[in-house]
Amino acid sequence: MKLREYEAKKVLREYGIPVPEGFLIRSETELPAHLAALGEKIVLKAQVDVGGRGKAGGILMAESASAVTTAHALFRKEIKGLPVKEVLAEQQLDIRHEYYLSVTVDRSSKQPLILFTEEGGVDIEITARDNPAAIRKAVILPLMRDIPPFMLRELIGTAPKEIGPVINKLYRVFCEKDALLAEINPLVTTPQGVFAADAKIIVDDNALGRQGFTMNRDLTEREREAEKHGFSYVELDGSIGVIGNGAGLTMATLDLIEFYGGKAANFLDVGGGAESERVMHAVRLVASSPAVKVIIVNLLGGITKCDEVAKGIIAAGIPQRVIVRLAGTNEAEGRRLLSEKGYEMLETMDLVVKKAVGVAS
Amino acid sequence: MIYGDKNTGILVQGATGKQGEFHIGLMNTYARQVGGKGVVAGVTPGKGGQQVHGVPVYNTVKEAMRDHDIGAGVIFVPAGAAGDSIMEQANAGIETIVCITEHIPVHDTMKAISYAWTQGCSVIGPNCPGLMSPGEVKMGIMPAGLFSRGNVGVISRSGTLTYEVVDELTRAGIGQSTVVGIGGDPVIGQTFVDVLEEFANDPQTKAVVLIGEVGGNLEEEGAKSTDLPIVSYIAGVSAPPDKRMGHAGAIVEGGEGDARSKIAWLKKHGVPVASRVSEIPEMVRDLFRCHC
Repeated sequence: MKLREYEAKKVLREYGIPVPEGFLIRSETELPAHLAALGEKIVLKAQVDVGGRGKAGGILMAESASAVTTAHALFRKEIKGLPVKEVLAEQQLDIRHEYYLSVTVDRSSKQPLILFTEEGGVDIEITARDNPAAIRKAVILPLMRDIPPFMLRELIGTAPKEIGPVINKLYRVFCEKDALLAEINPLVTTPQGVFAADAKIIVDDNALGRQGFTMNRDLTEREREAEKHGFSYVELDGSIGVIGNGAGLTMATLDLIEFYGGKAANFLDVGGGAESERVMHAVRLVASSPAVKVIIVNLLGGITKCDEVAKGIIAAGIPQRVIVRLAGTNEAEGRRLLSEKGYEMLETMDLVVKKAVGVAS
Repeated sequence: MIYGDKNTGILVQGATGKQGEFHIGLMNTYARQVGGKGVVAGVTPGKGGQQVHGVPVYNTVKEAMRDHDIGAGVIFVPAGAAGDSIMEQANAGIETIVCITEHIPVHDTMKAISYAWTQGCSVIGPNCPGLMSPGEVKMGIMPAGLFSRGNVGVISRSGTLTYEVVDELTRAGIGQSTVVGIGGDPVIGQTFVDVLEEFANDPQTKAVVLIGEVGGNLEEEGAKSTDLPIVSYIAGVSAPPDKRMGHAGAIVEGGEGDARSKIAWLKKHGVPVASRVSEIPEMVRDLFRCHC
């Protein structure tokens, strides 16, 4: 889960990383109370969950005298289709130089990876492509509580030494907050010292409970329903509903739909132990999308009981056609139950997908 | 076969839980069929002295190690305790640690894998179905009925998709040496590179099927690292960016790790890539035709 900028900056402040003076406001009427603390030059930043918010008009500069008017305008904007409900009002910084700093999970080394470059403020992916030599990297054994001084010296190079402690503090944030990404971009130098001008923290969804965070994402009704039943669910824009067990098999089913020229309406992984009630909820959930014309159920596994799955499909009682591929125990019984009620059960993935693509087109 | 054989004694951590108990039963049924040792000990703190399917349960891994010859451990404990279990097994000196548990926080995984590395242990998973060497040993939850013994190795980030591929291979008369599910998380112990290195030293394995998916670039690193003939399949061609496709590790982030670029890279480097699972057996046959 991605923290909003003001949440991320609150975490940085707790760890002693300097952030600009700032206040979160939910209406322009809350701004006057903070103007004295913010000083003459103010920046207003919409707290919306989209990338490229600055280019989309979500970050506005203002003088103190006219800041309320600017905030009024910002609260009435939509940034890439999202309404602005929260604005972070901050003092403007007197920026001398911008740096990029992040700590991420490196899949290859299986360790935290620290990236630092003296070319901050721009997209790190663009720097990585156009000038990879400018990015300094270090991987660190996650059993270490602090980054050793030599590693900090190597990372910083000729940049100001006061950045060293910031790198170590960000590494602590990364480890202690169960982050998948902790990023400061840009990290800036000013006559008053170093500041995190912007911050991004993504917390591991599997650690939200112990970190005391609750999901802040806005879910659609079907996504909420999926979460309730513990299904992995992603909405897509086609007309063929998909229910599979296991992420890989479900993805492969989606790919096969594309291979045969169809379009999937969703990804739904029911997970292990598909009992009749779980299957029923999954089928109803997928069928509740008006775009869905036909549903593929593709379940495989030694311990999946086909008769249970068949009962679940029948109990769902949905109007759309359901085409089934089942392999596991009690296959014959599952087939008998389904065919009695007029459902089709085919032998292979290729056959069910081909059939469903034909029905949908 | 790799990571163990008939003579490998297995320890199951989380032995008295629903999953642990169920799979001890299946693993030992298989061991009896093939004349292997199977699961010789279980561990659940506070349940020492009990038995599960006739297997003695101990309070700690070290206690179990004193009474039994153990070469591999399989972990079924809940996510919050799984990192600790990996470290307990590594500390006790278990060589191969298979972690089935899903939803472990990544930081726990990183620490546990680093610790296991300092102890010289191999971790398979987490969030994986384990491994299976037909006719020899089953460590984990793979459905034994689909497998047949032969000389093709299989490495996969997925569970059920692996069964699908194995089913296709078996039906086509192509047997397997060892099938390893390396796990669907962003950080896993044994990667494609590590397992391919094991296969390279295994006289039984003549070719490998590599089943990857969106996210990261472990597939490319694996293919680059070996001289073994490979056929690959990459799931997630239709996966939209920035959406997690079931597995925590199956996500295209920052334009990296999408299926099409993986496939393009593999093809460019001479690795045949199947566009459907059902094409895999024929492509494996082609490999044998040009490598015999």
